[in-house]
Amino acid sequence: MKMYLPPRGASKSRRGFLKKGLFGGLVLALGGGSWLLTRRGAQVQVPEGLQVLNAAEYAVMWSLVQRFVPTHEGFPSPDSLKTALACDTILSMLEDVTRSDVKQLLMLFENALPNFLFGGRTVPFTQLDPNDQEQVLAEWRDSSLMLRRTGYHALRGLAMAAYYGNRATWSAVNYPGPLPGIHDPNAPVWKGGDEPRPVGNGTYLEPAAPEATP
Amino acid sequence: MTAGRIYTGDELTKDLTIECDVCVIGSGAGGAWTAHELVKQGKRVVLLEEGGYHTRREFDMTEARAFTNLYQELGNRATDDLSLTIIQGRSVGGGTTVNWCSSFRTPQRILDTWRDRFGIDTLTTEALTPHWDAIEKRLHVAEWPLEMINANNKVLWDGLGKLGYERALIRRNVNNCLNLGYCGMGCPVDAKQSMLATVLPDAVEKGLELYANVSARTLEWSGRKVSAVKAEVLDPVKNRPTGVRLTVKPKLTVVSGGAINSPGLLLRSGLDGDGRVGTRTWVHPVVGTLAEMPFEVKAFSGAPQSVSSHHFIERGKDKIGYFLEVPPLQPMLGSIASAGTGTQVQDLLSRLPYINAMLAITVDGLLPEENGATVRLRDGAMSKYAISYDFQPAHWEAFRDACKEMAKLQFAAGATQVLSLHANPVVMKSPDDIGKLDDAPWEPARVRVLTAHQMGGCCAGKDPHNSVVDPHLQLHGMDNVFVVDGSVLPTSLGVNPQETIFGIARWAATHIGAAV
Repeated sequence: MKMYLPPRGASKSRRGFLKKGLFGGLVLALGGGSWLLTRRGAQVQVPEGLQVLNAAEYAVMWSLVQRFVPTHEGFPSPDSLKTALACDTILSMLEDVTRSDVKQLLMLFENALPNFLFGGRTVPFTQLDPNDQEQVLAEWRDSSLMLRRTGYHALRGLAMAAYYGNRATWSAVNYPGPLPGIHDPNAPVWKGGDEPRPVGNGTYLEPAAPEATP
Repeated sequence: MTAGRIYTGDELTKDLTIECDVCVIGSGAGGAWTAHELVKQGKRVVLLEEGGYHTRREFDMTEARAFTNLYQELGNRATDDLSLTIIQGRSVGGGTTVNWCSSFRTPQRILDTWRDRFGIDTLTTEALTPHWDAIEKRLHVAEWPLEMINANNKVLWDGLGKLGYERALIRRNVNNCLNLGYCGMGCPVDAKQSMLATVLPDAVEKGLELYANVSARTLEWSGRKVSAVKAEVLDPVKNRPTGVRLTVKPKLTVVSGGAINSPGLLLRSGLDGDGRVGTRTWVHPVVGTLAEMPFEVKAFSGAPQSVSSHHFIERGKDKIGYFLEVPPLQPMLGSIASAGTGTQVQDLLSRLPYINAMLAITVDGLLPEENGATVRLRDGAMSKYAISYDFQPAHWEAFRDACKEMAKLQFAAGATQVLSLHANPVVMKSPDDIGKLDDAPWEPARVRVLTAHQMGGCCAGKDPHNSVVDPHLQLHGMDNVFVVDGSVLPTSLGVNPQETIFGIARWAATHIGAAV
């Protein structure tokens, strides 16, 4: 289906954040054809219902989730909550341009060449042990390259939203959840037309005019 | 029988062309009041809203549902480099469906600045006061009583008192409020006097035709007139175009999509104001600190925002001022807003009931060197824009100063530990540690900066060479287009913006109606 397109010259369009700037372009360009890029990442069982990520991207997302929300006493494990799959579900609701950015970012995390250049590692992210993965995350977080800091925040936010958006985490953070009995799932939905507007807190009656004093 | 009607995407299965007096685009603070006043004048008004028609039936007070349905880009809107997180509403009622009810009239010094710097002699306290009076009456705006404030706000209140700083109770637009704490997820009992619960249904009763899940894509124009609004119907669940198109042919168009989206529509339409549309977008950049208190705060419970301080609102002519408030803290927002990774965050969040969060909201757009944010179109995107924010040294100075003051306040109120929102958080165990903030990195994407108040991008002004709309909010160079929302504000405000936008919309509707 064709969308309405802006007239020519309506505005300068902008590229995605990964392709902006010399460093971003260089980092992406470095991946192509490199022997390091061809090193295989870890194999992770791909769950049913994946909508956006492919197997390789999912494996990176899964590894990142293990670091951002690791299995920890008192907390449900991210696997038990299918957090990596939930990340994919969130991505499925976002625009194609955002999905594309995140997919590229995941493979940038995985790509051994940038990891080699920035951290001296020749192994893809998913093949690193947890301590080294933590170190890679810290390097992205504290990098002098804006692109890497941005990437860190993007993936951290995604993992956090997918995990803590699940009500199964509430007891771990001592959050009681909303008071029961308040939300009415059968509350009327008024659309006008033939239906009279239900009276509620949003309706308003002009205060009656004071009675005239005789 | 009600004169008007709310239509949703699922009902719109065939292409439709509608003729009307006025097409209002956007149903938030500006669009709702404008549409309401115009139908009251007897005009045939069609309102297009890109977001869905979500009501209290769906407001189950869970973050996952709220962010999916009620926020731009599921709450993921941000600058391209993620140095600024942009929390912005997207549903019928716009930001008023999810804001925290804080209601302030526009400060006099801001109106004076607009008059002196931009020649805006129309938006005066005298002109706006009768509108604010009427709005406050309709929306039950009243000060939240001290005995009702929650413990999270009490930390701010007590800290301010102990340090001798100015403090005040916030006026809120609520009616029969149950003090639940879920304003940001849609009020489950319609106590919040949002546009969704009040002015929009009032307008529908009077004849407003409101189309939800309908995204205005371009304005069709030639010469000095817009002849049609071209829109796409979106699937209410998938939020993707269904292929059905709506064409509205109005005598007059009011663009009320809010900052970012209104500039976006004008840019898509080729009405870029010689490059000015989308520039000078002001966002009240916010920094925060988290404190662990020795008592339960339960920042997730009770009216989210009821105390403010404008003690630091004017810090000298070369400095950026700020005001202080607190946010609610539910698990998902808390995890994203917090800093660190892994068990560090888990350990912090396991003490969620004891965490106080404090915000410093900086007032951007008042210093001459400031450019604010710039909004541009992005190839192939529907509602995602290329956004950047030009942080200046004065912003970082204000952020650092504000974080130090917030830490002081939190310790004064009894905090046992205060954390900055740096990617690698600064941990302060006592007031003696506050100086550590001086050594922290104050740079983009190294410390969390966010905005819940979007303004500008279609800035008002007398001179068409440095503004987008005139002092009556009419688009420069066009005879039948007005912009009425936060995007017209030529600077930020120094207070939460909803009542300013309500006021200018109700004020503008009078002369807009006369122009039809």
